Amino acid sequence: MTDLSVSLEEIAKGINSFIPELILSGGVLLLIFVGLFKKVTPSMLTFVALVVPVLSLLVIVANWSELSVPARIFNGFLRTDDFSSYLKILFDVSCVFTVLMTWRRQNEQQRLSEYYSVILAVLFGAHLLAMSMNLIMVFISLELVSIGSYILAGVSFSRKGSEGSFKYFLFGSTASAMMLYGFSFLYGYTGTLDFSTPAFAGEILENHSTLLLIASIMAMAGFFYKVAAAPLHLWSPDVYEAAPFPIIAFFSVVPKMAGIAILTRFSLALNAFGQSPIDWQFILAIIAILSISVGNFSALGQKNPKRLMAYSSIAQSGFLMVGIVAFSANGMHYMLFYASVYMLANFLIFNYLQSFDAMGMDTVLSFSGVGRKLAWPMVLTLIGMITLTGLPPTSGFTAKLFIFSSLWEAYQLTGKSILLWLLVFGLLNTVISLFYYLSIPYYAFIKGGETDLKTNNLTFENLFGLLLVVAILLLFFNPELLMGWINKINFVL
Amino acid sequence: MQEILLSLLLTVPLAAAFIALFIPSTMVKIFRYIVIIANSIQVGILLIILNGYKALGGLQFVEHRQWFTLDLGAWGILKAEYFLGLDGLSLPLVALAVLVMLIATISSWTTVKNTKGYYILLLILNTAIMGSFTALDFLLFYLFFEFMLLPMFFLIALWGGPRREYASIKFFLYTLFGSILILIVMIGLYISVHNPSESGRLVHSFNVLHMTDATNFISGSILDPNNPWMIGIYNARQWAFLLLFLGFAIKLPAVPVHTWLPDAHVEAPTAISVVLAALLLKIGGYGIARIVFPIFPDGAVHFGWFVGLVGVISIIYGGLNAMASKDLKRLIAYSSVSHMGFVLLGFASLTTEGVAGGIYQMFSHGIITSMLFLLAGVIYDRTSDRTIANYSGLSIKMPVYTALVVVAFFASMGLPGFSGFIAEIMVFLGAFKSGSIQGPVTETLAIISTLGLIIGATYYLWTLQRMFFGPFNLKGNTATDQVYDLTQREYVMLLPLAVATLFFGIYPQPIIGIIDPFAKHFAEFVLNAGKNLTLNP
Repeated sequence: MTDLSVSLEEIAKGINSFIPELILSGGVLLLIFVGLFKKVTPSMLTFVALVVPVLSLLVIVANWSELSVPARIFNGFLRTDDFSSYLKILFDVSCVFTVLMTWRRQNEQQRLSEYYSVILAVLFGAHLLAMSMNLIMVFISLELVSIGSYILAGVSFSRKGSEGSFKYFLFGSTASAMMLYGFSFLYGYTGTLDFSTPAFAGEILENHSTLLLIASIMAMAGFFYKVAAAPLHLWSPDVYEAAPFPIIAFFSVVPKMAGIAILTRFSLALNAFGQSPIDWQFILAIIAILSISVGNFSALGQKNPKRLMAYSSIAQSGFLMVGIVAFSANGMHYMLFYASVYMLANFLIFNYLQSFDAMGMDTVLSFSGVGRKLAWPMVLTLIGMITLTGLPPTSGFTAKLFIFSSLWEAYQLTGKSILLWLLVFGLLNTVISLFYYLSIPYYAFIKGGETDLKTNNLTFENLFGLLLVVAILLLFFNPELLMGWINKINFVL
Repeated sequence: MQEILLSLLLTVPLAAAFIALFIPSTMVKIFRYIVIIANSIQVGILLIILNGYKALGGLQFVEHRQWFTLDLGAWGILKAEYFLGLDGLSLPLVALAVLVMLIATISSWTTVKNTKGYYILLLILNTAIMGSFTALDFLLFYLFFEFMLLPMFFLIALWGGPRREYASIKFFLYTLFGSILILIVMIGLYISVHNPSESGRLVHSFNVLHMTDATNFISGSILDPNNPWMIGIYNARQWAFLLLFLGFAIKLPAVPVHTWLPDAHVEAPTAISVVLAALLLKIGGYGIARIVFPIFPDGAVHFGWFVGLVGVISIIYGGLNAMASKDLKRLIAYSSVSHMGFVLLGFASLTTEGVAGGIYQMFSHGIITSMLFLLAGVIYDRTSDRTIANYSGLSIKMPVYTALVVVAFFASMGLPGFSGFIAEIMVFLGAFKSGSIQGPVTETLAIISTLGLIIGATYYLWTLQRMFFGPFNLKGNTATDQVYDLTQREYVMLLPLAVATLFFGIYPQPIIGIIDPFAKHFAEFVLNAGKNLTLNP
């Protein structure tokens, strides 16, 4: 038993590295409190919701040198290192983008203070999940992300919203239960909750059994669920269809990347530097192939842009997992690069889909002929779509090139033919994905149709879109800008 | 000056496109002049290049700069370069590209709606084509190669004929499929090859020249020639050869992956058909000569007979399809498939004559097919009808036009005196010689390929007879007074091509002189290196 003063000291030490999260949790409370007053205008709420993640971001960047040194805080419940810090920056930027997307339509949201505070709570959960090294902590932070997400999915307060939110909740609680069940077995086998310790790996290696395999896969189910990887992807099209656009954009990045982060750490632990008798590379490769093909083939027939993007995000999860499958430092670096590009492209597209939706374009067919009137927005959307497809000259291509080169390298190292299949299959899927990614620009530019839209090129959406496009193109012409930074990240558990 | 000439060639159209972006779309005339100025500057640059090019100088006008470098820790360094250069393979094609782009602009002078978008896309396409022909870094090449797809897709889909949507999507999907195959091998190559000039750390680069040297492969890597991995029935290098070959064969296009071409050609507007046939197809041939054969010479020796066979099948099958075509543009499109078969056969022979003939065929076909598509466009502009059976006796109403059609048809069927003849005779020489130097093409294949000439003569002469001779008669909805002879603009675009095909048919030396050193080195290198790698793995 540790002395009280010792544990207090430990907590005090940990607090220093925990400032971004404290800011976020303070922000959640502040937004709820401020929302109680009638005099507070929506703009003030938006401002607060914008400042909080920016502050957290600034603190992380300012303390980068300190935060990037691997350290265990709060008795090993959390771990700060450059991997989690990078992801936290990604989350914060996504949150800022989400608030910006909400900003122009803040008056449409009746319960704005709750809306923002739940977003911040999910962000807080994602921060925690990226740092978790302890099964209990993983569960708590995953639930924080999940419960917030259930609320956000229904935040439009429509029939569809309730349906989506409820579906999400039912699927989510089942997945959580499975995960928890898996955790309990793992705890029984290893006697430790901290999956980064050598004891955990040692016990896993010694007690090899089918039950352990099943328990590990059950534990991972919770992560696959968050990532929306097949076969646990079923919730995502319904949820995407029901939720407002800023929330979908947020969902497609923050919970997904948080899931990817914990999946990375957890599978690294289970894989035990390749010593594990269970071939995790094989299992994850199968999941990746499934996600890529289920996502792409299902997206082909979609007529609703939101559902289309939902299936696209399932396929993109598969591509992100390619980086994990490689089980190499390069693979993880490239995955972070891919995640960053994916974040930019997704916000670009959802930003425009939101403004198109406001003009009444809510099916792919309704885009017919609008390309002439909305030339700039459509061209920028096209660039976003090409980025997700992975064609040059966008950084989507660079990201795909990188992530698949790490896979090729892994194949060269191990000679497992499943990796070659994933490589060939994943890349050929690009051709299929082109078909649906181009469908909206295709209708807009090529199909004829009359529109009487009033156009104004000087809008906030266009400015925001242009900034994102510049970032996407810049990362193609000079990937060093980001990769130089990502490459310094360590992947030691 | 020499160090930036190629960059200038690439950036002039891009800069023009950027300027055009900010001009309101109502000022139609300005766009035309911007494009024609950009094209003229390119002609000027080309003249400077031709003046300074030394036939025996190897790679010239080289530009070698860093693009980006990534330090990957223990794994080494990833280096992508901005590496451009010209040699005997690329110079004729660059010259062709500059000429054809100029003529494409002239041919779409007055016939195009929505001028702004059209010309901007054409300019972007121009940059991508020039880039593909000059890039010597695989990643850079791939960038330009893929970047051709989008402008081309929109050019066909927005300015094309009635079935343009189907044709443009088909074009896009086929070509993207091909380029993904290329991408797979590109990733493998860059993992397997290191840069020998960098000592100390392992530098992975995309430099195509390094990839051609077997000693630069990292030992133990998948594509290492000394110890290639077996994947199923072939080793990894042979698979890589097949994937790359298929990728470029789709672009070329070779039978049986040619089916996008007739659709795309029939639906595309005239100028775009010209660019497609004269330049985009050549990038398929260029890729085979620049990348596939030199990097995988063992594959070239092993599968050379297969490449030759695909070539011969394309020659015969394309020709037969052309004979059966009812649409004039479709006929020309299939004749392109047939003629590109000669390129494959020439390369596969691995003889100096054959390779030089293949490159010469690409150049000559670019000129002749441009002329053919422009001629088809001339009649389509007047009557909106390309059905061969709806015309007869056109020579009575359009004598000059008919004369030019005769020139183009004769040139295309390879009659002596035209550039097509020189190209095809060299390919045949190479194909027949190949057996005697233990090359991959057998004499049987060579003999069968000569049938292509007869088939070519058949469909061209038959078309001439049906459309141009006999009593003047128009079927369909066309009024007789819509048919008139060539206008001034049409003279400007057609005559230079007619003169060029005649000139290079009578005096091929200017081009042959440029091609020959490359072809000689290429044939010897691929045959010897391929045999060495196959015998002593």
